[in-house]
Formats: sequence, C-alpha cells, structure tokens
Amino acid sequence: MKQHRVAACLCCAGAIVALASHLATAQGRQSAPAASPRDFSGFWELSFDSRHVPEANLLPAVTRAMRTERAKKDAYAIRWCNLLGMPFVMDSGRPLDIRQGRTAVIIVPENASGPRYLYLDRPGHVSEDIFDPTTYGDSIAHWEGDTLVADTIGFHPDRGIAAIPGGGYRTATSHLVERYRLLQDGNILSVVFTWTDPKMFRAPHTYEFRYFRLPADYEPRTWLPCDPFDDGRTQFLEGRAAGSPAR
Amino acid sequence: MSVAKLGAILLIAGTIPVAPASAQARAAAARDVRIEGHWVRKDVGGAGSFGGLADQIPPAQLTAEAAAGRGAGAGRGGGPGRATGPAPSGRPNPVGVPYIVVDRPCANPGRGNGALLINPDSGGIHIIEHKDEVILAGERGGVRRIYLDGRPHPNLAGRVPTLAGHSTGRYDGNALIVDTIGLTPGGVPGGGLRSPETHLRERIEAAADGKTMTITYTWDDAKIYQKPHTYSYVFDRLPAGSYAFEDWCDAGDPIEKQSIVPPPQKP
Repeated sequence: MKQHRVAACLCCAGAIVALASHLATAQGRQSAPAASPRDFSGFWELSFDSRHVPEANLLPAVTRAMRTERAKKDAYAIRWCNLLGMPFVMDSGRPLDIRQGRTAVIIVPENASGPRYLYLDRPGHVSEDIFDPTTYGDSIAHWEGDTLVADTIGFHPDRGIAAIPGGGYRTATSHLVERYRLLQDGNILSVVFTWTDPKMFRAPHTYEFRYFRLPADYEPRTWLPCDPFDDGRTQFLEGRAAGSPAR
Repeated sequence: MSVAKLGAILLIAGTIPVAPASAQARAAAARDVRIEGHWVRKDVGGAGSFGGLADQIPPAQLTAEAAAGRGAGAGRGGGPGRATGPAPSGRPNPVGVPYIVVDRPCANPGRGNGALLINPDSGGIHIIEHKDEVILAGERGGVRRIYLDGRPHPNLAGRVPTLAGHSTGRYDGNALIVDTIGLTPGGVPGGGLRSPETHLRERIEAAADGKTMTITYTWDDAKIYQKPHTYSYVFDRLPAGSYAFEDWCDAGDPIEKQSIVPPPQKP
C-alpha cells in the first residue's frame, strides 16, 4: 500500500513537472526574446526617445575650422553615395538586422553602407602592418557576463560620415568601446558607446542608444537607391534646387 | 509496467528540459561542419577568367516560349550591367592622358542589395549562421538573408521583385537547403532566365574537412526550363583570422573612371 502511494505521488509529480515544462516551453515560444541574454540577434530599431547623448568634451585644439572642414567631408560622403561607416551606421534611420554567429556578430543596416562585423574568434586586432583603415575599423568582441564588449580601432580618418553623436569626429587615433546588453526581457538592446581619442576628446565620450526589438517576422526593406549621378539629387543636396509643388 | 515505473519515467521525463528551439535548432547544434566563415570562389577547372568560368556552366535547356522571348533580361543576375565608358576611338591616347573606361563609377545597381550573393564573383563571401537566419554577406554588394524561422514565402502578388529575392532555408545534415523566389527578371548563368515566380534551390554544403564549400544551384520554372537548370560553384575557406575587406569606391574621385595612363615612351 505504501509502495503504491509513493508510486502515485511520483506519477503525479512527474506529470506536473512534465506539464510545467511543456507550458514553459510554449511560453518561451511566445516570448522568444528572453531565450538567451547572450544572444541579441534580431531586428532592432531606434525611436525618438532612444538616445542619451551628452555633449562631448573636446580638446581646445579641435577648432571650429577643423569641425567645419570635417563636416564638408561628411557632406561629400553623402553626395557621392560613399560607404558611410561608423558611427553613422548605428543610427542610419532604418532598422538594424543583428545576427550572432559562432565566429562573429554581423550588423546589417538597411542601406548601402554594407555590413559591420564584430569578430568573436580573434583574441586581438589585426596588425596595423596589415590592416588598411576602414570606415568601420577593426572590431573584436568578447562576453563579460551578459554584456558583449566590442573594441574597435583602425578607423579611416577621412572616409564616410565621421561625425560622432555629441560632438567631435572619428580620426585615425580613435578608439571605440561598445557594451551591448539586453534589457526588459530581451525587448530592448542597450548599446553604450565610449570614444577615446588623444587628438579629439579631453575625456572619454560616452553615450547610450536603446534599440527596440521589432517583431521576429519583420522583413527588411530593399535599400533606397543612392545615385551619385542624379543631377536633381545633387542640386537638392547642394541647395541649388528650387522647391516644386507636390503633385 | 508498474505504476511505480510509470511514475518514475514521468518524473524523469518531466525533469528533462524540453528544448524550446525547433528541430532545426537541434539539427544545427548537431552539425559539425559549418558553412559559417569566410569564403572565396574557386576556379576549379583552371579557366583563368570570368568568361572561362562561365563557359564551364552547362547550357540551360529553355522552353521554346522562353527561348523566343529571351533578350528581355539584361546583365548578370538580372541587373542592368556595368556602366561603361565612351567607345574606344581606336587611336592610342597621348602620354599622360588616361583612358576613361567607366562613365559612372561605383554606381552599378546590379551589384547591390545582395544580387552578387546569387551569383558570386571573386569578392569574398562571409557567412553568419544563426538559428533563425543565415546571412550571406559579400564584400561587394550587400547581403542575402535566408530565413530559418519557419516563415513562408510571401505572396508574390503586389510584391516588388528584388535582386536577392526572398529566401527560406532548412538544414539537411550539414547542408543548408535554400529556396528563393521573388527575384527580378533577368539572366541566369548558362544562358538561363528567371522571373519572380522562378524557384532557385540551393544546396550549400562544406566539405567534410571544412576547407571547401559547394553551392549547387538549381533553377526551376516550367515556363522557362525544359528541365531544371543545375550547376555548382566551389569556394575555398579563407584562413582563420581572416576578415571582410571594405570595398571602397568613391564615385567622386576622377581616378575611379580611369584605366591606365600612357607613360612616356622611349624613342
């Protein structure tokens, strides 16, 4: 009798645990973002209240004339449909598709800027003797708890849009550290950017973007065209186009 | 079976975590040869040129209707083809005067939006595998997304065709099986054609030693082909520590239009 009672209890307990497990699984499917705090793959979008960007503390040596000159180069990059690079790609006006693989995280914007990679399988940066500076630089990343820490150097000093939110611009001596972390059950991706540069900032310049997760079935849009030989576009960008009424 | 045994089995079954991921994810976890990594297309037959590579592709067997209507498609992958420069004059340029070979440099929309990942050229390809999506990224022309999350293809009615189309996939052992529709009308290697309704099936598989990868393409469309049009590309895996190059091209730089500049000639 006692054996049967134990068996019955075991049976009930097993059934309850099995049911609970399956229910948890079913709930997990409904709230997929919470699957892993160390996988922030998904489609992410900035909103109007997504940016906390304090003013950068620039070195006195960074003159207004220097900033104006740099702004002209940024305008040139837009005018000629160049690759736009960092940090622009992280706030390009359209969602980002971020996918985390075994060897790298890829960040794909919905524009012609090309994908950005954060390499997970390299202990160090590519040697400066080999690496040709790029608009994205060379990014390597590792996990610290539930935070992915990405370290980037090797920026090209002239190419792309170099303006940094809050002030200043990237140079060949810029060093960027990003900390990626999921918040609110995986529905928000916090990225804290910290720029240091002995030629630009008096102190490390830190700001944060919070991206909102889009539905899992989101489908990215085809890029909008960017034609550097479109005269009407050029006239518009250069302020030479007379406004015409909408039809 | 005794009640006690049944209870024990249920208890054990209840404590074994049921993986929230799908069979796809379990299959992915079990795979030991992955396609993730850096790849570059290989000249298997030693053709030595893009024309030679193209000649290795078996000719497509078109239906009479498709053959009669061909010519509507344009350049590689359905794109408009490379913008070219002025027709050659037939006379050599003077010393120091560059040959202008491209009118509109860096502005080839046929390469963008993942088009090159349908028909890769010599640029590097970088593949990231995630359980919900595989991304094929080219150094010259955007990305292709292959959805593994079970979503169906969209209804093509009212959908604008794209250069990379809409791709869904699943794993068959180590191979990624991809189905693509919704492509822009145009040409296909081997003299084939495609329309938005054409299915492109791809089998993407790394060799057992992981050093090479084969993509077998099969174009299937009863309106276009007498039988499915199939060919393969082979890729070499780049060494560990490789990284994606940035394909910089500045349309505003006059030198992008140029070919060689005739140097001073010895008398």
